[in-house]
Amino acid sequence: MENVLSILFCLTLLYLVVTSRIKTYVTILRIQGVLLSLIMIFPFIEHLSVHLLIIPIVSLIVKAIIIPRFVNKIVIDLDVKRIVEPSIQPFNFLLLSVFSMSVLFVSAHVLSGFTTIEPIPFASAFSAMIIGIFIIIFRKKLIIHVVGFLILENGILLFGTSLSAEMPTIVELGALLDIFVVVFLMGIVINRISSTFAQPDVTALGRLKD
Amino acid sequence: MPELFLLTALPLLNIGLVYFLKNRKIQYSLTLLAATVHLLCSLLIFSGFLNPSENDFIRFDSLTKLFLMVLSNVYFWVTLVSYSYLSRPNIVKEEKSKKLYFMLLNLYLLANTLALISNHLGLFWVASETTTLCVAPLIFYYRDEEALEAMWKYLFLVSVGIAFAFVGFLFLTLSANGTVLDGKQLVVTNFILNAEVLNPIWLKAAFIFVFVGLSTKIGIAPMHPGDIDATSNSPSPVAALMSGSLRGTALIGVLRVYQIMVPTETAEFARIIMIIGGMFSLFVAFVFMFKVTNYKRMISYSSVEHLGLIVIGIGTGGIAFVGAMLHVVYNSITKVVLFLNAGNIHRAYKSRETASVWNVLNAMPWTGWLFLTGFFAIIAMPPFGIFFSELMIFQGLMAKPWLLAGVLFLLFFIFVGMSKTVFQMLYKAPPDIANLPEISEKFDITHFASLILLLMLIGLGLFLPSELYEMVTNIALDFGIIL
Repeated sequence: MENVLSILFCLTLLYLVVTSRIKTYVTILRIQGVLLSLIMIFPFIEHLSVHLLIIPIVSLIVKAIIIPRFVNKIVIDLDVKRIVEPSIQPFNFLLLSVFSMSVLFVSAHVLSGFTTIEPIPFASAFSAMIIGIFIIIFRKKLIIHVVGFLILENGILLFGTSLSAEMPTIVELGALLDIFVVVFLMGIVINRISSTFAQPDVTALGRLKD
Repeated sequence: MPELFLLTALPLLNIGLVYFLKNRKIQYSLTLLAATVHLLCSLLIFSGFLNPSENDFIRFDSLTKLFLMVLSNVYFWVTLVSYSYLSRPNIVKEEKSKKLYFMLLNLYLLANTLALISNHLGLFWVASETTTLCVAPLIFYYRDEEALEAMWKYLFLVSVGIAFAFVGFLFLTLSANGTVLDGKQLVVTNFILNAEVLNPIWLKAAFIFVFVGLSTKIGIAPMHPGDIDATSNSPSPVAALMSGSLRGTALIGVLRVYQIMVPTETAEFARIIMIIGGMFSLFVAFVFMFKVTNYKRMISYSSVEHLGLIVIGIGTGGIAFVGAMLHVVYNSITKVVLFLNAGNIHRAYKSRETASVWNVLNAMPWTGWLFLTGFFAIIAMPPFGIFFSELMIFQGLMAKPWLLAGVLFLLFFIFVGMSKTVFQMLYKAPPDIANLPEISEKFDITHFASLILLLMLIGLGLFLPSELYEMVTNIALDFGIIL
């Protein structure tokens, strides 16, 4: 079951790569939040302790409801253009993503031969991390960078969950990465209030260089 | 645990007090009090008068003691000059930043202390995340476009880095699967004791992710740009804090993971990675030293260079490791001097561009001479401490002559590039004598701090105190290096 959900998670990533509308990005964030919470609920079904319910519920609320709503609100309030402005051809981006994902899946399969990992969640997690990084690199909008960071963070949480059934405290600490996301979003909002950035776009971030 | 209480309670209390007490003089006195108590406490712990108890979360080994001393020292001097810095006539926008300044300083001290004394990698991770979050508004101090861009870049790059470091720690958990440590907390001492049973593949993966991730904070190339922007656009006390102590705080995370790897056969791998990272940093500093037109950025690139050198020293091992640890101390002191005086120059000439700064030695004799002396210290002239620590690193590098040749080549040209900029600032005749800004300079507290720090640097270099040397050799012993 965990494997099926991980594959679904990977499919959302591929959809993310081909789409170019901010609205779809937000929807996919919601779907990923739900999928992650579902995956994280498995340890609870096995052990039935209330403690294990906290993280799935918190991440469901934060990832599937609060953050997507916040992003949507910013897009409407700041009147951001509704397309993502890629700096790479969509087809090339898809090719690059599929290539890196297949490399990850194959290497996860090879590694699972002599170590104790579950290849599918492991590879899905790293696919999410790498696609998060790609989105940060190949998209121009700041708000999309934040979404890229969120995808990266989802990958990390999935990786943490796939590690062990007992979920050591360190995995729970990973949820703190959300603080950064909130700070970024706040940053964009405050930006607009002090109106220092005319356009929330990386092309505006060109003053500091050598 | 009275020591832990002494180290953390006062900054914690201050965060609340400073928030409610709006008078800046009171805020300053409270912060300075906390800094002094912290400094005394670190000194007592360093010299062995206080022997704090340790547990799964807190640890006071030699490495912690040394880095705690570095943090306290830098923080104390930066706090001391902060009030005069805030009192300078400035644009109105900053009033907002000034209100938060001392609160954030206290939070910075608290988070850094926790990161340094943590024995639990989870605690370390949370604490270093906090340091990033509290330093970001300090970078945004001037509230202009450049400051905003610097803050955004720093925050974003470091967050991605911190996320990578987190993946590294997860790999560490993975490496313990199926061993006695399975499902246990990430306690460094336990991991060191059972290092042999850890899975080497995941251990290597953990090191790569932690090293690359924390490089964003340490300033190791190619992850350095966020750091450069942040230190060059923040107010000079904050830049001094970041260069002097924040980089060290991140370095200790890498050192902890390396310490776990030392007893295993993966240690060689970690050393190679560190040497590559260090050499690349030196190379980047070498290239950009000739390109920079901004003197604060130049000092930031010098930080990249020196942290690179430290990482090379750690990777080389032997006497170079000892040199690297001493270099951490000396570099932090020198960077404070350089940034504080660069701040004075920035205030007088109202520009960070080298081209619009002339004749500093005549216009601002105190700042000029102190900046010049600081420059001599950072390029490792004797009798300053950095000369001796670099000598130790080179001595360790003797075993790898090609590497030594490369390092010396790059350092020589970095020295040339840096001196070109510095001497232009200090000696260049003004293009138009009539339009020179009227600058009269009195001896103020930043000069006092710089003077004491430079004297400290000479003293530490010439008469290396036995306590310091013993501490450093103890650290080396913890890392399996017997001299």
